[in-house]
Amino acid sequence: MKRKHFLSSFIPLAASLSAVARGKTSIGPESPVAIPPYLKPGDTIGICCPAGFMKPEDIQPALLKLAEWGFKTKVGATVGKKDFTYGGTDEERLQDLQQMLDDKSIKAILFARGGYGGVRIIDNLNFKKFDRDPKWIIGFSDATVFHSHINEKYRVATIHSKMCNSFPGDWNNAEPAQKETIESINKCLKGERMKYLFTPNEKNKTGLAVGELVGGNLKTLESLAGSASDIHTKDKILFVEDTGEYLYSIDRMFWNLKRSGKLEKLKGLIIGGFKIKTDDAGEEFGKTIEDIVLEKVSEYNYPVCFDFPVGHQKNNFALKCGVLHTLGVHLNECRLTEVR
Amino acid sequence: MIKIPPYLKKGDTIGITCPAGYMAAEKAQACINTLQSWGFDVMVGKTLGSNSVNYFSGTDEERRDELQAMLDDENINAILFGRGGYGMGRIIDGLDFTKFKKKPKWVIGFSDITVLHAHLYTKIKVASVHAPMAAAFNEGENEFIRSLHNSIKGKKAKYSCAVHTFNKPGNASGELVGGNLSLLANITGTPSDINTKNKILFIEDIGEQIYNIDRMLYQLKRSGKLASLAGLIIGGFTDMKDTERPFGKTVYEAIADIIAQYNYPVAFGFPVSHGTENYALKIGVNYTLKVGRSKTQLTEI
Repeated sequence: MKRKHFLSSFIPLAASLSAVARGKTSIGPESPVAIPPYLKPGDTIGICCPAGFMKPEDIQPALLKLAEWGFKTKVGATVGKKDFTYGGTDEERLQDLQQMLDDKSIKAILFARGGYGGVRIIDNLNFKKFDRDPKWIIGFSDATVFHSHINEKYRVATIHSKMCNSFPGDWNNAEPAQKETIESINKCLKGERMKYLFTPNEKNKTGLAVGELVGGNLKTLESLAGSASDIHTKDKILFVEDTGEYLYSIDRMFWNLKRSGKLEKLKGLIIGGFKIKTDDAGEEFGKTIEDIVLEKVSEYNYPVCFDFPVGHQKNNFALKCGVLHTLGVHLNECRLTEVR
Repeated sequence: MIKIPPYLKKGDTIGITCPAGYMAAEKAQACINTLQSWGFDVMVGKTLGSNSVNYFSGTDEERRDELQAMLDDENINAILFGRGGYGMGRIIDGLDFTKFKKKPKWVIGFSDITVLHAHLYTKIKVASVHAPMAAAFNEGENEFIRSLHNSIKGKKAKYSCAVHTFNKPGNASGELVGGNLSLLANITGTPSDINTKNKILFIEDIGEQIYNIDRMLYQLKRSGKLASLAGLIIGGFTDMKDTERPFGKTVYEAIADIIAQYNYPVAFGFPVSHGTENYALKIGVNYTLKVGRSKTQLTEI
């Protein structure tokens, strides 16, 4: 008990402790987060499909870019495997990821793409070796299952970012936002202190917050509610994004967050991109994303910002989940900065 | 212990209100006529055929206040919802059940109303009726509408339906809980969430992607709602959608795979759904489920 108190009162310092030093018996939502070793040129990144199917040729742009950054790559057996929507059967996806979690020569695992399927294998993965020797897990969307599970159960930092399917095939003609966001993965992996500057939205609630960054895809977060992978959000900065959902459904998901106590004790709330499914004729919901969010948090005093560059969009920067950040929401400037 | 509200007698009053989506007044006319033909008086709230211009039948306050008034009004003996849609979750925490708990009455509906059923069951400990709502009366007085009549009159239900190849035979008894899968998933982790241990759980849904049904079943499983059931009833999963790259399983195949490891009886294809087939089921009331070789039977105890 004393030990836990000691550790949690020094979170920024403790964040650099290795997993071994964390005292596994007392892992809880407030235990310090272990930062996996950052990558050096020559390190190996594993690529696998824990969810949706991906053709080998479609990961080529990612392989080229990772090589350019100085990394070796190990392509898992699930890349090119196909079991209907999945990148292989549950068993194949499980084995591929398990082997990458356990392989000491692999320093990071980049998912080929999202889709659906993480939750079908998560409870059968063995994180024992990963917990002892953490490595970076990289992805978003369906990969929110892994971010949430690893944050909650193992207190290890992860990277929420684009995956192989978002690396542009023609780099030279890619848009600046595409290049910058892909480059942000390299920066995260190499241990650069991350800073994000973004445009204020007039509906933002201004303020300053410091907290551990957690979050991901809203629908996936809702689908983890009540499970062992469900995240605690107390004293954290929560970010959410989603795609292809109706406004009413987004509203309903925010009610899930609110009614399950996930909005009440936040330090800050970051709303990323929401690609909204157009309401059916005659069923117009009549509220914007800003309306939906603000009515849920009107009773709270923490800063809230919209239009953060994270989501199913070109503007989707790499974020370190589990790592302490400062969120500054001001009238003329919005900034998210990793705390070191 | 779950409280059973008093059953209805001729001359009792049924209130109609729309706690969620907008409903034109004429769409409830057949329902009003039928309820009157059964000998009930009908009191219609302003949220039915309101002048709302958006999705909802009224503002949150209007919908909440009207439902609150009907919950509290001693002259109203049951509340039948006009329709579902979406909106109960927005007002549920603003409702005061103090009077209702002392003098419970039947509330009747399904779909979005699953939030209220679960809340009444978990927090207020009062039984409610999962049944067709006002719009369903436009199809005429079929056996499903009649099952609603019987349920509020206090006639014990005995339903049977055809066997399905995915059924897992056996007998179970327990309190019946459940409703719309999307809403059951949505209230997980909230104060309205249901404990399913030793219960007979029923689920149904409409218009979802098969992968999303799979994900919600995983949520039920991973939140401990499937492991200790007495029995499971799979209702209709209507208008299911598939992704461009096919999911590779029908919705029933997906469900059957996820529950394969459990030993309790499971009945597929039970008539509870967004389609016409939608028997009235009393949530919180004890039933016996018999999944046999030649038929499935659900009998109120």
